Amino acid sequence: MPERIVIQPVTRIEGHAKISIYLDDDGAVSSAQFHVTEFRGFEKLCEGRPFHEMPGLMSRVCGICPVSHILASSKACDNLLGVEVPRTAVQQRRMVNLAQLVQSHALSFFHLSAPDLLLGMDAPPEKRNVFGLVERDAEFARRGIRLRQFGQRIIELVGGKRIHPSWGAPGGVLRAIGEAERDEIRGWIPEALESAEIAIGRLKGVLDSMAIEIEHLGNFPTLFLGLVSPEGGLEYYDGVIRIVDGEGNAVAEGLDPQRYLTYLGEASEEWSFMKFPYYKPLGYPGGKYRVGPLARMNVARFAGTPRADREMHEFKQRSQGAVCESFHYHLARLIEILHAIERIEEITQDPDLLGSNIRARAGQNRNEGIGCSEAPRGTLFHHYQVDDNGLVRSANLLIATSQNNLAMNLAVEQAARYFVSGRSLQEGMLNRVEAAIRCFDPCLSCSTHALGQMPLVVELRDAGGALLDRARRG
Amino acid sequence: MTVLLIAIGNAMRGDDGAAHRVIERLEPAPGVVVRGELQLLPELAPEVARADRVVFIDADVEADEPSIEPLEAGAGAGTPLVHTITPREIVLLAGKLYGFTGRAYLCRLPVADFDRDGLSPAAEAGVEKAVGLLREFIR
Repeated sequence: MPERIVIQPVTRIEGHAKISIYLDDDGAVSSAQFHVTEFRGFEKLCEGRPFHEMPGLMSRVCGICPVSHILASSKACDNLLGVEVPRTAVQQRRMVNLAQLVQSHALSFFHLSAPDLLLGMDAPPEKRNVFGLVERDAEFARRGIRLRQFGQRIIELVGGKRIHPSWGAPGGVLRAIGEAERDEIRGWIPEALESAEIAIGRLKGVLDSMAIEIEHLGNFPTLFLGLVSPEGGLEYYDGVIRIVDGEGNAVAEGLDPQRYLTYLGEASEEWSFMKFPYYKPLGYPGGKYRVGPLARMNVARFAGTPRADREMHEFKQRSQGAVCESFHYHLARLIEILHAIERIEEITQDPDLLGSNIRARAGQNRNEGIGCSEAPRGTLFHHYQVDDNGLVRSANLLIATSQNNLAMNLAVEQAARYFVSGRSLQEGMLNRVEAAIRCFDPCLSCSTHALGQMPLVVELRDAGGALLDRARRG
Repeated sequence: MTVLLIAIGNAMRGDDGAAHRVIERLEPAPGVVVRGELQLLPELAPEVARADRVVFIDADVEADEPSIEPLEAGAGAGTPLVHTITPREIVLLAGKLYGFTGRAYLCRLPVADFDRDGLSPAAEAGVEKAVGLLREFIR
């Protein structure tokens, strides 16, 4: 009789999830699923609210990447106003977005993934954590904390506070900054650059010893999607969508984020609260795509900053086409940290950063607004429809983590097929299956969707896997 | 003597915000630094290490009365990190990475209801008593 093995909860990812591994009659893994059982319903909550409240409301979606939601929301609201945002505000928005990328990626690498990567997947679980890392190399751990502080400090200096800053707004931002803030940010740059390069060196130094994990933790061709600049470089705030396939060939160029509904669809499965976005021209599930650091490395032709360009050039040599190994999300994340620090330094050299014209003001000029930016985990869309009184009639958030959902499920299945055998689970097997998910650094609290749109199926099974009862809600 | 008071919780979730109410009620005092945190993250460790005494103030559904108890450093059991860490883990990081030699405490606040605006009467009463305990502690 087929048997189901459940790993719950998945540790060291944000939010709540469950993995089910299905065995066939011979005890081999037949399939696996990554379930998201957390439900939040933010899209429903904001119906009826004035649209100018949205950046503040949306920041509450997440305590790790609130800036991403503030930005995408503010951009959607800019769209409702129909205004051009002043350059000072744009530069602030760019810098804070990059600062958030640094702090979020630093948390992901130093505190969540580095124990696996630097202590080894088979290290005892009681040692394979950030405290084990501290025992092994305290200075490296301190550098991780300082990198997070760097990102968080910029958010605090510019946004007013580190988590959920009341800063982004329709038409611009709410606070100007002065020379003191700018100079403090500049003061952090040399150490931050050094730490990022040390981390890249450390990770590259262990990749040869992890060839099996690289091969089997989510290594398959998919599409990759992300924003790029008009010239095809890395871009996090604006730009156009580029999609490449697993061979690195361009599938779509210059797509307007405002028209995302024409090329992206969202499917649902009864076993997860998280949706399954796909590229419409290839259908579901054939149109599976990945977003985030690995995708950005694949869709962009260059970084546009000297240190990151060197690393990105080397990164791209890891494959003749696109780099398809999800394991390389980790390295891509570190290259992005390096790039973000370089870009932040550039922005601090722009006199317009200190301008006083920080917000364009206008009444509502449109009933529909779409905002798009690159969040740490990938491309983020906020889409609002408002009535003539400026009240939100509907909202749709297309979240980075959910866009990786199909790929995460494939990665879990691939890892289970290779690493899980027999009728019991060993710690090393479990950790590798979980590590397949951690490559994507999912933030599940961000990625669950609206009330009534996603049915919940509850199944009651006995120890042998036979179905005793089944309930469907929603 | 530096005392660091760290309030933990989400003020938008009813009684979970009780710790924030406590630090709002405490008068500024020399040598006392207060921080309000939605969640604990590793970068708090250096600040903890600079204090002689640190008190984590947190809502606790299992507390019957407000209390201030010594807190030992320690790692989590088996699930070391999500995107947040615990007070015991912060103290451990502060000691291992930044040489914290001070003393750490946990101030537990009795709470019951997280699905409301503002604090419940029971949490308000607990805040009142906790403020008194902390005034004595700081003195």
